[in-house]
Amino acid sequence: MHSSDLDFGRRLWLAIILLSVNGAVLANKLPHDWLNHMGAAVQSTSYEGTVIRIKDGKAEALKVVHTVKDGVIMEKVVAQEGNGLEIIRHGNEVHCILPDQKSVLVEEWSDQSTLFSTLPSSDIRFGNEYDVSIVRKERIAGREAIMLAIRPHDGYRYGHRIWLDTETSFPLQAQLISEGSAIEQVKFAEIRLNHEIHASALEPSYSTEHFTWLRQPSAHAGTVVEAIWGSDELPAGFRVVSVHEETMEGSDEEITHMLYSDGLANVSVFIAAKSGKVAAGSARVGGSNSYGVEHGDFEITVIGEVPAVTVEQIATSMRQR
Amino acid sequence: MQVSAFVDGELPENEAELLLRRLSQDAELRQAVAEYLAIGRLMRAEPGLAGADRLHERIAAAIDDKPANAIDFAGDTPASRAVRPLAGIAIAATVALVAIFALQQTTGIDELPAEAQLPVVGVVPDIDEQEERRRQFFLNHAETSSQFGANGMNSRVVTLRFSEEVSAQGEDDELDGTDQLGDLDNPADSGEPTTQP
Repeated sequence: MHSSDLDFGRRLWLAIILLSVNGAVLANKLPHDWLNHMGAAVQSTSYEGTVIRIKDGKAEALKVVHTVKDGVIMEKVVAQEGNGLEIIRHGNEVHCILPDQKSVLVEEWSDQSTLFSTLPSSDIRFGNEYDVSIVRKERIAGREAIMLAIRPHDGYRYGHRIWLDTETSFPLQAQLISEGSAIEQVKFAEIRLNHEIHASALEPSYSTEHFTWLRQPSAHAGTVVEAIWGSDELPAGFRVVSVHEETMEGSDEEITHMLYSDGLANVSVFIAAKSGKVAAGSARVGGSNSYGVEHGDFEITVIGEVPAVTVEQIATSMRQR
Repeated sequence: MQVSAFVDGELPENEAELLLRRLSQDAELRQAVAEYLAIGRLMRAEPGLAGADRLHERIAAAIDDKPANAIDFAGDTPASRAVRPLAGIAIAATVALVAIFALQQTTGIDELPAEAQLPVVGVVPDIDEQEERRRQFFLNHAETSSQFGANGMNSRVVTLRFSEEVSAQGEDDELDGTDQLGDLDNPADSGEPTTQP
Protein backbone atom coordinates (compact mmCIF):
# COMPACT_ATOMS: atom_id res chain seq x y z
CA MET A 1 0.00 0.00 0.00
CA HIS A 2 1.24 3.47 -0.82
CA SER A 3 2.42 5.49 2.20
CA SER A 4 0.16 8.43 1.27
CA ASP A 5 -2.82 6.07 1.39
CA LEU A 6 -1.78 5.11 4.90
CA ASP A 7 -1.49 8.78 5.92
CA PHE A 8 -4.90 9.49 4.47
CA GLY A 9 -6.36 6.51 6.34
CA ARG A 10 -4.84 7.67 9.62
CA ARG A 11 -6.07 11.20 9.10
CA LEU A 12 -9.54 9.92 8.30
CA TRP A 13 -9.66 7.81 11.47
CA LEU A 14 -8.30 10.70 13.50
CA ALA A 15 -11.01 12.95 12.07
CA ILE A 16 -13.68 10.38 12.88
CA ILE A 17 -12.37 9.98 16.44
CA LEU A 18 -12.23 13.73 16.95
CA LEU A 19 -15.75 14.16 15.61
CA SER A 20 -16.99 11.40 17.89
CA VAL A 21 -15.29 12.94 20.90
CA ASN A 22 -16.68 16.34 19.99
CA GLY A 23 -20.16 14.88 19.64
CA ALA A 24 -19.86 13.12 22.97
CA VAL A 25 -18.64 16.31 24.65
CA LEU A 26 -21.57 18.20 23.16
CA ALA A 27 -24.01 15.56 24.30
CA ASN A 28 -22.51 15.41 27.79
CA LYS A 29 -22.38 19.13 28.43
CA LEU A 30 -24.74 20.28 31.12
CA PRO A 31 -26.56 23.62 30.93
CA HIS A 32 -24.23 25.00 33.60
CA ASP A 33 -21.24 23.97 31.49
CA TRP A 34 -22.66 25.89 28.56
CA LEU A 35 -23.21 28.98 30.70
CA ASN A 36 -19.69 28.76 32.10
CA HIS A 37 -18.23 28.39 28.63
CA MET A 38 -20.38 31.25 27.41
CA GLY A 39 -18.97 33.51 30.11
CA ALA A 40 -15.44 32.65 29.07
CA ALA A 41 -16.26 33.02 25.36
CA VAL A 42 -17.74 36.49 25.82
CA GLN A 43 -14.56 37.55 27.59
CA SER A 44 -12.09 36.17 25.08
CA THR A 45 -13.72 35.84 21.66
CA SER A 46 -12.99 38.27 18.87
CA TYR A 47 -15.97 38.87 16.67
CA GLU A 48 -17.25 41.07 13.91
CA GLY A 49 -20.79 41.13 12.64
CA THR A 50 -24.21 42.69 12.46
CA VAL A 51 -26.48 42.62 15.47
CA ILE A 52 -30.21 43.12 15.31
CA ARG A 53 -31.63 44.51 18.51
CA ILE A 54 -35.38 44.43 19.00
CA LYS A 55 -37.17 46.19 21.79
CA ASP A 56 -40.62 47.67 22.19
CA GLY A 57 -41.49 46.48 18.71
CA LYS A 58 -38.67 48.48 17.17
CA ALA A 59 -35.66 46.93 15.49
CA GLU A 60 -32.28 48.46 14.96
CA ALA A 61 -29.14 47.11 13.37
CA LEU A 62 -25.70 47.60 14.84
CA LYS A 63 -22.34 46.79 13.28
CA VAL A 64 -20.09 45.37 15.97
CA VAL A 65 -16.36 44.75 16.06
CA HIS A 66 -14.89 43.34 19.28
CA THR A 67 -11.52 42.03 20.26
CA VAL A 68 -9.33 41.70 23.34
CA LYS A 69 -5.65 42.60 23.06
CA ASP A 70 -3.35 42.05 26.03
CA GLY A 71 -6.36 41.90 28.29
CA VAL A 72 -7.75 45.21 27.03
CA ILE A 73 -11.20 45.23 25.44
CA MET A 74 -11.37 47.02 22.11
CA GLU A 75 -14.79 47.45 20.64
CA LYS A 76 -16.64 49.46 18.03
CA VAL A 77 -20.42 49.60 17.69
CA VAL A 78 -22.01 51.57 14.87
CA ALA A 79 -25.75 52.20 14.63
CA GLN A 80 -26.89 51.48 11.11
CA GLU A 81 -29.91 53.75 11.30
CA GLY A 82 -30.71 57.16 12.73
CA ASN A 83 -27.92 59.56 13.52
CA GLY A 84 -24.95 57.27 12.83
CA LEU A 85 -24.03 56.89 16.50
CA GLU A 86 -20.67 55.20 17.06
CA ILE A 87 -19.36 53.73 20.28
CA ILE A 88 -15.63 53.19 20.46
CA ARG A 89 -14.33 51.36 23.48
CA HIS A 90 -10.71 51.11 24.54
CA GLY A 91 -10.45 49.35 27.86
CA ASN A 92 -12.80 51.02 30.29
CA GLU A 93 -12.91 54.30 28.40
CA VAL A 94 -15.82 54.60 26.03
CA HIS A 95 -16.30 57.30 23.40
CA CYS A 96 -19.83 57.79 22.13
CA ILE A 97 -19.57 59.73 18.89
CA LEU A 98 -22.64 61.68 17.84
CA PRO A 99 -21.80 62.84 14.32
CA ASP A 100 -24.94 64.93 13.89
CA GLN A 101 -24.07 66.77 17.10
CA LYS A 102 -20.39 66.95 16.23
CA SER A 103 -19.72 65.79 19.75
CA VAL A 104 -18.06 62.96 21.61
CA LEU A 105 -19.32 61.77 24.98
CA VAL A 106 -16.67 60.12 27.15
CA GLU A 107 -17.73 57.56 29.73
CA GLU A 108 -16.02 55.10 32.03
CA TRP A 109 -17.51 51.62 31.83
CA SER A 110 -16.45 48.99 34.30
CA ASP A 111 -18.23 46.00 32.84
CA GLN A 112 -16.94 43.72 30.17
CA SER A 113 -18.93 44.13 27.00
CA THR A 114 -21.30 46.55 25.39
CA LEU A 115 -23.66 43.84 24.29
CA PHE A 116 -23.21 40.92 26.62
CA SER A 117 -22.18 42.27 29.99
CA THR A 118 -25.44 41.25 31.53
CA LEU A 119 -26.05 37.73 30.29
CA PRO A 120 -26.97 35.12 32.86
CA SER A 121 -24.14 33.21 34.46
CA SER A 122 -23.92 29.78 36.01
CA ASP A 123 -23.82 31.42 39.44
CA ILE A 124 -27.59 31.61 39.46
CA ARG A 125 -29.13 29.28 42.00
CA PHE A 126 -30.96 27.21 39.45
CA GLY A 127 -33.61 25.00 40.94
CA ASN A 128 -34.82 27.69 43.33
CA GLU A 129 -36.25 30.52 41.27
CA TYR A 130 -35.27 29.29 37.81
CA ASP A 131 -34.72 26.08 35.86
CA VAL A 132 -32.31 25.86 32.99
CA SER A 133 -32.43 23.30 30.21
CA ILE A 134 -30.88 22.53 26.86
CA VAL A 135 -33.74 22.63 24.39
CA ARG A 136 -32.41 21.84 20.92
CA LYS A 137 -29.98 22.75 18.20
CA GLU A 138 -30.82 25.45 15.67
CA ARG A 139 -29.00 27.56 13.14
CA ILE A 140 -28.35 31.21 13.94
CA ALA A 141 -26.38 33.52 11.68
CA GLY A 142 -25.46 30.52 9.56
CA ARG A 143 -23.89 28.68 12.50
CA GLU A 144 -25.03 25.71 14.53
CA ALA A 145 -26.30 26.85 17.91
CA ILE A 146 -27.61 25.16 21.02
CA MET A 147 -30.66 26.75 22.61
CA LEU A 148 -30.82 27.12 26.38
CA ALA A 149 -34.03 28.05 28.15
CA ILE A 150 -34.06 29.61 31.60
CA ARG A 151 -37.58 29.41 32.96
CA PRO A 152 -38.71 31.21 36.09
CA HIS A 153 -40.80 29.36 38.65
CA ASP A 154 -43.25 32.23 39.11
CA GLY A 155 -44.52 35.42 37.51
CA TYR A 156 -42.18 37.73 39.43
CA ARG A 157 -39.32 37.44 36.95
CA TYR A 158 -38.63 36.96 33.27
CA GLY A 159 -37.28 33.96 31.45
CA HIS A 160 -34.35 33.91 29.09
CA ARG A 161 -33.54 32.04 25.91
CA ILE A 162 -29.96 31.94 24.76
CA TRP A 163 -28.55 30.41 21.60
CA LEU A 164 -24.87 29.52 21.94
CA ASP A 165 -22.53 28.70 19.09
CA THR A 166 -21.81 24.99 19.53
CA GLU A 167 -18.19 25.42 18.49
CA THR A 168 -17.24 28.36 20.69
CA SER A 169 -20.14 28.76 23.19
CA PHE A 170 -20.44 32.37 22.03
CA PRO A 171 -23.99 33.78 22.36
CA LEU A 172 -25.47 34.31 18.92
CA GLN A 173 -28.92 35.27 20.14
CA ALA A 174 -30.52 36.15 23.46
CA GLN A 175 -34.12 36.85 24.35
CA LEU A 176 -35.84 38.16 27.44
CA ILE A 177 -39.07 36.19 27.81
CA SER A 178 -42.37 37.25 29.34
CA GLU A 179 -45.22 34.74 29.27
CA GLY A 180 -43.66 32.79 26.45
CA SER A 181 -42.95 35.79 24.22
CA ALA A 182 -39.74 37.71 23.64
CA ILE A 183 -39.92 41.30 24.90
CA GLU A 184 -36.29 42.13 24.16
CA GLN A 185 -33.77 40.41 22.02
CA VAL A 186 -30.34 40.73 20.54
CA LYS A 187 -29.45 38.54 17.57
CA PHE A 188 -26.53 38.29 15.22
CA ALA A 189 -27.66 38.38 11.60
CA GLU A 190 -24.12 37.57 10.48
CA ILE A 191 -20.94 37.05 12.42
CA ARG A 192 -17.30 36.12 12.02
CA LEU A 193 -15.71 34.61 15.10
CA ASN A 194 -12.06 34.58 16.10
CA HIS A 195 -10.57 36.02 12.95
CA GLU A 196 -7.91 38.69 12.98
CA ILE A 197 -9.28 42.17 13.52
CA HIS A 198 -7.22 45.02 12.15
CA ALA A 199 -6.71 48.15 14.21
CA SER A 200 -8.36 50.21 11.46
CA ALA A 201 -11.65 48.36 12.05
CA LEU A 202 -11.73 49.83 15.54
CA GLU A 203 -11.06 53.42 14.52
CA PRO A 204 -13.87 56.03 14.41
CA SER A 205 -15.44 56.52 11.00
CA TYR A 206 -15.39 60.26 11.56
CA SER A 207 -12.65 62.76 12.19
CA THR A 208 -13.45 63.97 15.70
CA GLU A 209 -10.73 66.60 15.77
CA HIS A 210 -13.16 69.52 15.79
CA PHE A 211 -15.92 67.82 17.74
CA THR A 212 -16.96 68.93 21.21
CA TRP A 213 -15.80 66.44 23.83
CA LEU A 214 -17.99 65.95 26.88
CA ARG A 215 -17.22 63.84 29.90
CA GLN A 216 -20.11 62.06 31.51
CA PRO A 217 -20.22 62.56 35.29
CA SER A 218 -18.81 59.55 37.11
CA ALA A 219 -21.13 56.82 38.21
CA HIS A 220 -23.21 57.17 41.35
CA ALA A 221 -20.66 55.86 43.82
CA GLY A 222 -22.46 56.80 47.04
CA THR A 223 -21.72 55.66 50.56
CA VAL A 224 -22.47 52.19 51.83
CA VAL A 225 -25.07 52.32 54.61
CA GLU A 226 -27.06 49.85 56.64
CA ALA A 227 -30.48 48.91 55.35
CA ILE A 228 -33.22 50.43 57.48
CA TRP A 229 -35.90 49.70 54.89
CA GLY A 230 -37.24 46.39 53.71
CA SER A 231 -40.15 44.92 51.79
CA ASP A 232 -42.92 43.17 53.67
CA GLU A 233 -43.87 41.24 50.55
CA LEU A 234 -40.58 40.62 48.83
CA PRO A 235 -40.99 37.97 46.11
CA ALA A 236 -39.18 34.72 46.92
CA GLY A 237 -35.51 34.54 46.12
CA PHE A 238 -34.76 38.28 46.11
CA ARG A 239 -32.22 39.52 48.62
CA VAL A 240 -30.45 42.81 49.27
CA VAL A 241 -27.06 42.96 47.55
CA SER A 242 -26.18 46.63 48.18
CA VAL A 243 -27.45 49.70 50.01
CA HIS A 244 -26.02 53.15 49.31
CA GLU A 245 -26.72 56.76 50.20
CA GLU A 246 -26.38 58.74 47.00
CA THR A 247 -26.75 62.31 45.86
CA MET A 248 -29.17 63.03 43.05
CA GLU A 249 -27.45 64.37 39.98
CA GLY A 250 -27.63 68.14 39.74
CA SER A 251 -28.80 68.66 43.32
CA ASP A 252 -27.83 68.10 46.96
CA GLU A 253 -30.75 65.77 47.51
CA GLU A 254 -29.78 62.57 49.34
CA ILE A 255 -31.48 59.31 48.46
CA THR A 256 -31.18 55.73 49.64
CA HIS A 257 -30.57 53.21 46.87
CA MET A 258 -31.16 49.53 47.66
CA LEU A 259 -30.43 46.84 45.10
CA TYR A 260 -32.25 43.52 45.29
CA SER A 261 -31.26 40.50 43.20
CA ASP A 262 -32.46 36.95 42.75
CA GLY A 263 -29.17 36.08 41.07
CA LEU A 264 -30.45 36.92 37.62
CA ALA A 265 -32.88 39.82 37.82
CA ASN A 266 -31.91 43.02 39.63
CA VAL A 267 -34.34 45.49 41.18
CA SER A 268 -33.42 48.95 42.48
CA VAL A 269 -35.38 50.69 45.22
CA PHE A 270 -34.87 54.46 45.50
CA ILE A 271 -36.10 56.11 48.70
CA ALA A 272 -36.19 59.90 48.99
CA ALA A 273 -37.73 62.43 51.33
CA LYS A 274 -41.11 63.60 50.12
CA SER A 275 -40.65 66.30 47.49
CA GLY A 276 -43.62 65.95 45.16
CA LYS A 277 -41.27 64.89 42.39
CA VAL A 278 -42.03 61.19 42.38
CA ALA A 279 -43.50 59.90 39.14
CA ALA A 280 -46.34 57.93 40.66
CA GLY A 281 -47.55 54.71 39.10
CA SER A 282 -45.96 52.47 36.55
CA ALA A 283 -43.78 52.99 33.49
CA ARG A 284 -41.88 50.72 31.19
CA VAL A 285 -38.94 50.70 28.80
CA GLY A 286 -38.63 47.34 27.02
CA GLY A 287 -38.42 44.75 29.75
CA SER A 288 -37.62 47.31 32.45
CA ASN A 289 -40.51 48.37 34.65
CA SER A 290 -40.80 51.06 37.28
CA TYR A 291 -43.34 51.94 39.93
CA GLY A 292 -43.45 55.08 42.07
CA VAL A 293 -45.44 55.62 45.24
CA GLU A 294 -45.55 57.95 48.23
CA HIS A 295 -45.23 56.37 51.66
CA GLY A 296 -45.60 58.71 54.63
CA ASP A 297 -42.86 61.29 54.43
CA PHE A 298 -41.04 59.39 51.72
CA GLU A 299 -41.20 58.73 48.02
CA ILE A 300 -40.32 55.27 46.75
CA THR A 301 -39.43 54.39 43.17
CA VAL A 302 -38.70 50.78 42.21
CA ILE A 303 -37.07 49.89 38.88
CA GLY A 304 -35.95 46.55 37.51
CA GLU A 305 -35.81 44.15 34.60
CA VAL A 306 -38.78 42.29 36.04
CA PRO A 307 -42.53 42.24 35.31
CA ALA A 308 -44.66 45.20 36.36
CA VAL A 309 -46.26 43.22 39.18
CA THR A 310 -42.88 42.74 40.86
CA VAL A 311 -41.90 46.41 41.02
CA GLU A 312 -45.37 47.38 42.17
CA GLN A 313 -45.45 44.76 44.93
CA ILE A 314 -42.02 45.77 46.20
CA ALA A 315 -42.77 49.52 46.00
CA THR A 316 -46.02 49.26 47.90
CA SER A 317 -44.61 46.98 50.59
CA MET A 318 -41.45 48.92 51.54
CA ARG A 319 -41.39 49.76 55.25
CA GLN A 320 -38.87 51.25 57.68
CA ARG A 321 -37.47 48.65 60.08
CA MET B 1 -44.76 23.23 33.96
CA GLN B 2 -43.90 20.68 31.29
CA VAL B 3 -46.90 21.62 29.18
CA SER B 4 -46.12 25.33 29.40
CA ALA B 5 -42.48 24.69 28.46
CA PHE B 6 -43.72 22.57 25.55
CA VAL B 7 -46.06 25.19 24.12
CA ASP B 8 -43.37 27.84 24.60
CA GLY B 9 -41.01 25.72 22.53
CA GLU B 10 -38.62 25.37 25.46
CA LEU B 11 -39.02 21.71 26.33
CA PRO B 12 -35.86 19.67 25.66
CA GLU B 13 -36.25 17.41 22.66
CA ASN B 14 -36.22 14.12 24.53
CA GLU B 15 -38.91 15.34 26.95
CA ALA B 16 -40.91 16.78 24.06
CA GLU B 17 -40.90 13.39 22.34
CA LEU B 18 -42.28 11.77 25.49
CA LEU B 19 -44.93 14.44 25.85
CA LEU B 20 -45.94 14.06 22.22
CA ARG B 21 -46.44 10.34 22.78
CA ARG B 22 -48.53 11.05 25.85
CA LEU B 23 -50.52 13.65 23.94
CA SER B 24 -51.40 11.15 21.26
CA GLN B 25 -52.76 8.73 23.85
CA ASP B 26 -54.18 10.94 26.62
CA ALA B 27 -57.33 12.88 25.80
CA GLU B 28 -57.34 14.69 29.15
CA LEU B 29 -53.82 15.92 28.63
CA ARG B 30 -54.76 17.17 25.16
CA GLN B 31 -57.67 19.02 26.68
CA ALA B 32 -55.35 20.56 29.28
CA VAL B 33 -53.00 21.70 26.52
CA ALA B 34 -55.87 23.14 24.52
CA GLU B 35 -57.11 25.10 27.54
CA TYR B 36 -53.63 26.33 28.30
CA LEU B 37 -53.24 27.49 24.73
CA ALA B 38 -56.61 29.25 24.75
CA ILE B 39 -55.71 31.11 27.94
CA GLY B 40 -52.29 32.02 26.60
CA ARG B 41 -53.68 33.31 23.34
CA LEU B 42 -56.22 35.46 25.12
CA MET B 43 -53.59 36.86 27.48
CA ARG B 44 -51.20 37.62 24.68
CA ALA B 45 -53.87 38.86 22.27
CA GLU B 46 -52.04 37.11 19.47
CA PRO B 47 -53.25 38.21 16.07
CA GLY B 48 -53.06 34.86 14.34
CA LEU B 49 -50.83 32.25 12.86
CA ALA B 50 -48.06 34.05 11.05
CA GLY B 51 -46.31 30.86 10.03
CA ALA B 52 -45.43 27.38 11.12
CA ASP B 53 -42.33 26.40 12.98
CA ARG B 54 -40.63 23.09 13.45
CA LEU B 55 -42.75 22.29 16.46
CA HIS B 56 -45.74 22.30 14.19
CA GLU B 57 -44.02 19.93 11.81
CA ARG B 58 -42.90 17.60 14.56
CA ILE B 59 -46.32 17.40 16.13
CA ALA B 60 -47.95 16.76 12.78
CA ALA B 61 -45.34 14.12 12.01
CA ALA B 62 -45.76 12.47 15.38
CA ILE B 63 -49.51 12.31 14.94
CA ASP B 64 -49.22 10.94 11.43
CA ASP B 65 -46.86 8.23 12.69
CA LYS B 66 -49.45 6.82 15.03
CA PRO B 67 -51.79 4.05 13.97
CA ALA B 68 -55.29 5.33 13.40
CA ASN B 69 -56.74 3.55 16.41
CA ALA B 70 -54.24 5.23 18.73
CA ILE B 71 -55.54 8.66 17.87
CA ASP B 72 -58.47 9.96 19.84
CA PHE B 73 -58.96 13.60 19.10
CA ALA B 74 -62.74 13.68 19.07
CA GLY B 75 -63.92 10.29 20.15
CA ASP B 76 -63.96 6.89 18.56
CA THR B 77 -66.56 7.30 15.86
CA PRO B 78 -65.58 6.45 12.32
CA ALA B 79 -66.37 9.99 11.30
CA SER B 80 -63.89 11.41 13.77
CA ARG B 81 -61.26 9.01 12.55
CA ALA B 82 -61.95 10.14 9.04
CA VAL B 83 -61.06 13.72 9.92
CA ARG B 84 -58.05 12.75 11.99
CA PRO B 85 -55.40 14.36 9.80
CA LEU B 86 -57.24 17.69 9.81
CA ALA B 87 -57.76 17.55 13.56
CA GLY B 88 -54.11 16.74 14.01
CA ILE B 89 -53.04 19.66 11.92
CA ALA B 90 -55.43 21.95 13.77
CA ILE B 91 -53.90 21.04 17.10
CA ALA B 92 -50.42 21.31 15.68
CA ALA B 93 -51.23 24.73 14.29
CA THR B 94 -52.59 25.83 17.65
CA VAL B 95 -49.44 24.74 19.39
CA ALA B 96 -47.36 26.45 16.75
CA LEU B 97 -49.34 29.63 17.33
CA VAL B 98 -47.85 30.14 20.74
CA ALA B 99 -44.44 28.89 19.77
CA ILE B 100 -44.00 31.31 16.93
CA PHE B 101 -40.99 33.50 17.07
CA ALA B 102 -42.59 36.89 17.52
CA LEU B 103 -42.26 39.90 19.72
CA GLN B 104 -45.13 40.75 21.99
CA GLN B 105 -45.57 43.75 24.17
CA THR B 106 -47.26 43.31 27.49
CA THR B 107 -50.32 45.44 27.87
CA GLY B 108 -52.19 47.08 30.68
CA ILE B 109 -49.37 49.17 32.09
CA ASP B 110 -48.55 52.75 31.45
CA GLU B 111 -45.84 53.50 28.97
CA LEU B 112 -43.21 56.12 29.34
CA PRO B 113 -44.11 59.12 27.21
CA ALA B 114 -43.25 58.90 23.55
CA GLU B 115 -40.13 60.96 23.96
CA ALA B 116 -38.73 58.40 26.38
CA GLN B 117 -39.06 55.44 24.02
CA LEU B 118 -36.02 53.82 22.45
CA PRO B 119 -34.61 54.35 19.98
CA VAL B 120 -35.94 57.61 18.63
CA VAL B 121 -34.37 60.41 16.71
CA GLY B 122 -36.01 63.75 17.16
CA VAL B 123 -35.92 66.94 19.14
CA VAL B 124 -35.18 67.12 22.85
CA PRO B 125 -38.49 67.88 24.49
CA ASP B 126 -39.34 69.74 27.65
CA ILE B 127 -39.57 66.96 30.16
CA ASP B 128 -41.21 67.66 33.44
CA GLU B 129 -39.45 67.21 36.71
CA GLN B 130 -41.08 63.89 37.55
CA GLU B 131 -40.14 62.28 34.26
CA GLU B 132 -36.64 63.68 34.55
CA ARG B 133 -36.36 62.16 38.01
CA ARG B 134 -37.64 58.81 36.85
CA ARG B 135 -35.18 58.85 33.97
CA GLN B 136 -32.34 59.53 36.38
CA PHE B 137 -33.46 56.53 38.41
CA PHE B 138 -33.52 54.33 35.30
CA LEU B 139 -30.01 55.50 34.48
CA ASN B 140 -28.79 54.98 38.01
CA HIS B 141 -30.33 51.51 38.13
CA ALA B 142 -28.71 50.51 34.84
CA GLU B 143 -25.30 51.65 36.04
CA THR B 144 -25.52 49.95 39.40
CA SER B 145 -27.17 46.85 38.04
CA SER B 146 -24.52 46.28 35.40
CA GLN B 147 -21.89 46.23 38.13
CA PHE B 148 -23.70 43.30 39.68
CA GLY B 149 -24.02 41.36 36.45
CA ALA B 150 -27.01 39.71 34.95
CA ASN B 151 -30.19 41.54 34.21
CA GLY B 152 -31.88 42.92 31.11
CA MET B 153 -29.43 42.47 28.29
CA ASN B 154 -29.91 45.94 26.94
CA SER B 155 -29.54 47.98 30.07
CA ARG B 156 -26.21 49.35 28.96
CA VAL B 157 -27.69 50.53 25.70
CA VAL B 158 -30.50 52.15 27.64
CA THR B 159 -27.86 53.92 29.67
CA LEU B 160 -26.24 55.15 26.55
CA ARG B 161 -29.45 56.54 25.15
CA PHE B 162 -30.08 58.39 28.34
CA SER B 163 -26.52 59.62 28.33
CA GLU B 164 -26.93 61.09 24.90
CA GLU B 165 -29.64 63.36 26.16
CA VAL B 166 -27.49 64.39 29.06
CA SER B 167 -24.83 65.34 26.56
CA ALA B 168 -27.26 67.38 24.54
CA GLN B 169 -28.36 69.31 27.59
CA GLY B 170 -25.23 69.28 29.69
CA GLU B 171 -23.13 72.13 28.40
CA ASP B 172 -21.58 72.41 31.85
CA ASP B 173 -19.93 69.06 31.32
CA GLU B 174 -17.75 70.17 28.46
CA LEU B 175 -14.11 69.35 28.74
CA ASP B 176 -12.15 71.41 26.33
CA GLY B 177 -13.17 75.01 26.17
CA THR B 178 -16.27 76.92 25.30
CA ASP B 179 -15.89 77.69 21.64
CA GLN B 180 -17.34 74.44 20.34
CA LEU B 181 -20.73 74.42 21.97
CA GLY B 182 -22.69 75.93 19.15
CA ASP B 183 -24.02 72.62 17.94
CA LEU B 184 -25.33 71.71 21.35
CA ASP B 185 -26.88 75.01 22.31
CA ASN B 186 -30.53 74.37 22.93
CA PRO B 187 -31.15 71.87 20.18
CA ALA B 188 -34.87 71.92 20.91
CA ASP B 189 -35.08 75.55 19.90
CA SER B 190 -32.77 75.25 16.96
CA GLY B 191 -34.66 72.27 15.59
CA GLU B 192 -31.43 70.36 15.24
CA PRO B 193 -32.10 66.67 15.43
CA THR B 194 -30.56 64.80 18.31
CA THR B 195 -30.90 61.37 19.74
CA GLN B 196 -32.88 61.00 22.88
CA PRO B 197 -34.34 58.30 25.05
